Amino acid sequence: MKVSLFIPCTVDLMMPEIGVAVYRILSHLDTRPVYHSGQTCCGQPLYNAGYRDQAKRAARHFIKVFGDDEYIVSPSGSCVSTVKQHYAELLADEPSWCDRARNISKRMYELSQFIVDVLGITDVGASFEGKVTYHESCHIFRALGISEQPRKLIASVRGAELVELGNATACCGFGGEFSTGFPEISEAMVKAKAVNFINTGADVLLLNEPGCLLNISGYLHRNHPQKRSMHLATFLAENTREFSHA
Amino acid sequence: MHNRVDKFKETARAEMKNELSQAFLLMLSLGAPIMRQIGMSSFPDPAAAEAYGRAIRTESIERLPELLEEFKKNAQAKGAKVIWARDSAEAKASVLDIAKKRGINYITKGKSMVTEEIGLNEHLISNGVDVFETDLGEVITQMLSRAPFHIVGPALNVPPEEISAVFLKRGVIKQPTVNPVELGKAVREYMREKFRYLDMGIVGVNMAVAETGTIINVENEGNIRMNKSSPRTLVAIMSIEKVVPTMADALHMVRILSRNCTGQKLTGYVSMDTGPKKSDEMDGPEELFIIIVDNGRSEIYRDIKVREILKCIRCGACLNACPIYAKIGGYPYGFSYSGPMGQILNPMLLGIEHTSDLFRACTLCGACKKICPAGIDHPSIILEYRARQIKDRKHQTLSARFENNLATCSSLAMSSSMLWNLAVKTVRPLFNSLAEDGYIRDMPFGAKGWFSCRNLRAMPDKTFHEIWKKLNLPNPDDVRKKETL
Amino acid sequence: MSSQVRNEILSKIKSAQRNDPLPRPQLPFLSERALDREQMLERFTAELTSQTGTVYRAKDRKDAERVLSEIAAAEGFKQVIAVGKNLQGIDIKSFGNSNGITVRTLADLKDREALRKAAFAADAGITSADFAIAETGTLGIIFSKDQPRLASIAPPVHIAIVSIEKLYPVYEDAVKQVFGNVNEIPSQFAFITGPSATADIQAISFKGMHGPTKVIVIFIMGQ
Ligand code: SF4
Repeated sequence: MKVSLFIPCTVDLMMPEIGVAVYRILSHLDTRPVYHSGQTCCGQPLYNAGYRDQAKRAARHFIKVFGDDEYIVSPSGSCVSTVKQHYAELLADEPSWCDRARNISKRMYELSQFIVDVLGITDVGASFEGKVTYHESCHIFRALGISEQPRKLIASVRGAELVELGNATACCGFGGEFSTGFPEISEAMVKAKAVNFINTGADVLLLNEPGCLLNISGYLHRNHPQKRSMHLATFLAENTREFSHA
Repeated sequence: MHNRVDKFKETARAEMKNELSQAFLLMLSLGAPIMRQIGMSSFPDPAAAEAYGRAIRTESIERLPELLEEFKKNAQAKGAKVIWARDSAEAKASVLDIAKKRGINYITKGKSMVTEEIGLNEHLISNGVDVFETDLGEVITQMLSRAPFHIVGPALNVPPEEISAVFLKRGVIKQPTVNPVELGKAVREYMREKFRYLDMGIVGVNMAVAETGTIINVENEGNIRMNKSSPRTLVAIMSIEKVVPTMADALHMVRILSRNCTGQKLTGYVSMDTGPKKSDEMDGPEELFIIIVDNGRSEIYRDIKVREILKCIRCGACLNACPIYAKIGGYPYGFSYSGPMGQILNPMLLGIEHTSDLFRACTLCGACKKICPAGIDHPSIILEYRARQIKDRKHQTLSARFENNLATCSSLAMSSSMLWNLAVKTVRPLFNSLAEDGYIRDMPFGAKGWFSCRNLRAMPDKTFHEIWKKLNLPNPDDVRKKETL
Repeated sequence: MSSQVRNEILSKIKSAQRNDPLPRPQLPFLSERALDREQMLERFTAELTSQTGTVYRAKDRKDAERVLSEIAAAEGFKQVIAVGKNLQGIDIKSFGNSNGITVRTLADLKDREALRKAAFAADAGITSADFAIAETGTLGIIFSKDQPRLASIAPPVHIAIVSIEKLYPVYEDAVKQVFGNVNEIPSQFAFITGPSATADIQAISFKGMHGPTKVIVIFIMGQ
């Protein structure tokens, strides 16, 4: 099965190891990941900031690059949500693009959703001795309604104990431009997230949204350097021995 | 009204340092959604009940023109006097006129958001008609002239010491006390005198029923029922979107509103008034005025992208769900409406250009949309305001022009992987020159706010693009990249 | 003037784009409709009790008078206001005489002023209720010449005497009867669920904000 990777800009530029992990997991699960190197960014930052004309340009590019790929899989819920839930409206006044947007929206998958719902796999073969906890990122949990899937993947990790994060569905305070525009409020929010994480006693905080990860890991690095947060893909890939190193 | 939307950031900062506000915000954000959940789960099928409520609100708004006419016709047939007001000035003038013509010295008021919005109290008082808020929380905020902290608990965070001091000053109590029950009971006694001799009362309207011309109020304290029972003259003020088609719909919405507001299955009192008192009745208003206020709603109605704002039933559930509200409370929003409800409504009432912080202070987390019993999609509306703001101002100031150009440049880079990769190669060394041990801890320009509490990893030597290229994986299907470049 | 304003507002919204609302989903089912009388009574009692209200079951009119006297003695009533169409046949004056309580009925009150004076001075308001709703332990009262509004809101204690025949599962049962005939809609109909309450200061809740502190319901089970 051919799987087309959409590696969001945050991952491409700041955390490429997540992309590598996605590639390794999907190859390990007997799919054939492909990567269109023409891809860039879905335009979410522009769209969210209100730059719609500019976001349209990014959206059209995205649609062109991914063409009629059957499965477009991304390790970011907010990017999937942007394409899936906002492109058609964004391109509403360009009917042929709007149609293509509607069409592509049906082929977009968040990584954990793809593995569990499409591939029907919950156990990727990982093992980890220790306690982990899971943050329900807003766009994954509320916009896409994905929660069971990542939890199943985590629950299948041998040796790992999943402990519940207090207020797990609360926003971590990232919100793109929000984090820099309203730093004090954002800090209060990410701090609450960190405190809840620390209170679980878990060794690692797992999440599957690169934006949240930048925020939370950046906060932890500054304030609690011994605490770790990771993208679920990285966690699964790092803890699955059979993976051939890419 | 305490119209201070321009002070969002500084008020927010102050409130984040206010321990009492923080304590109640924690309680509200953790407790209220649970109470609501318990309330909703008392429905045999909560999802169906919610869906039905949303359908009622959608239909009420889509059919607004004819429902309003039907309501007016039926209310008048029952003897109510219906007055229409285009804006706050007309609404205020009508109320003042009613009071003056009847020689009214003082008025008591049940809680009403629209009267706060139009600044009714200030207008009446400055024209010689005293106004007493009667909802306990509103009594306190009125005496302290403070904006509401929360739509349901407007004075929840006010320290009892402060309440005691202002009550002493106003003669509500003789001896200081910080006991909340004693303070509340003192207001009971104070207001009983007012209710006892009352000639004119003002109430808001939770629902106006088209089919019967009935106005419905929900409350727990009994002050609204006092206002509707004791005086000869009653003025009910509603904005145009309060109407629902039928009594059956109203009952369902009362169930929904109670649960979303306080987690109750039903508020203590639900009073349904159709016309003034009958001639043989001993109490109740001889004259019932219903003032239907537009004040910007018809513009919202015509604005199809934001029309759904009018579905709001002012339950406050979105405040309790909002992670931003949970940190800053109601004051920073600077207007009668706070939280997500205010973030979508205030920009239309006060102007997008004056309310930037309201629709920018949002992470688009979607908690409001998820909880809203009216089915409003707040994040989409907030995104719409952002887009309108950018469109309106992009040529205006130097910095707006610069930001717009920057956005255009990034969009150009986003539409060409060659430019994209070139940009990365250019930015990376500059960016990474700020790093120490692989992390950036501050920045002399740009996204400074990030670094107030966070570090940022330096950009790795290779992007995923570059890693992939180096892997040189067989990827025979990847031909489109040529087409797009 | 006002009609011009009205036309302006209405024509603005009338000329706006119309979207046809989707058809309504199915009306949600209310499980209370299946309750039998005893279950309704239990539900009503449980709900009202949870709001600190009290529910009595009186066998008949005589028994209700006994319950009333007990309450009056326990609460130390000195004066009460009693309204409502014949109060299920209770002899309210003799109840007053035998308990040493001043009872004011509508016959004693000539106008609004007299009513306000009596209602605000009374230790209790005794009223009938037109409906009792099991769903939430709620009273439904139609206000009329026999049933002024203040008697159930001004005194610190509200006692409602209700025939068991008036106990229904859900609000709709009452509203259908009250609003069913357009020509007979009362000036006010109210649902009352327990005493008045607030939690506006420091989230400390207490009963008896502006309305009654106590609500007592006496069901008359037979004739
Ligand atoms: S926007 Fe929705 S949740 Fe918020 S107050 Fe209005 S109806 Fe309630």
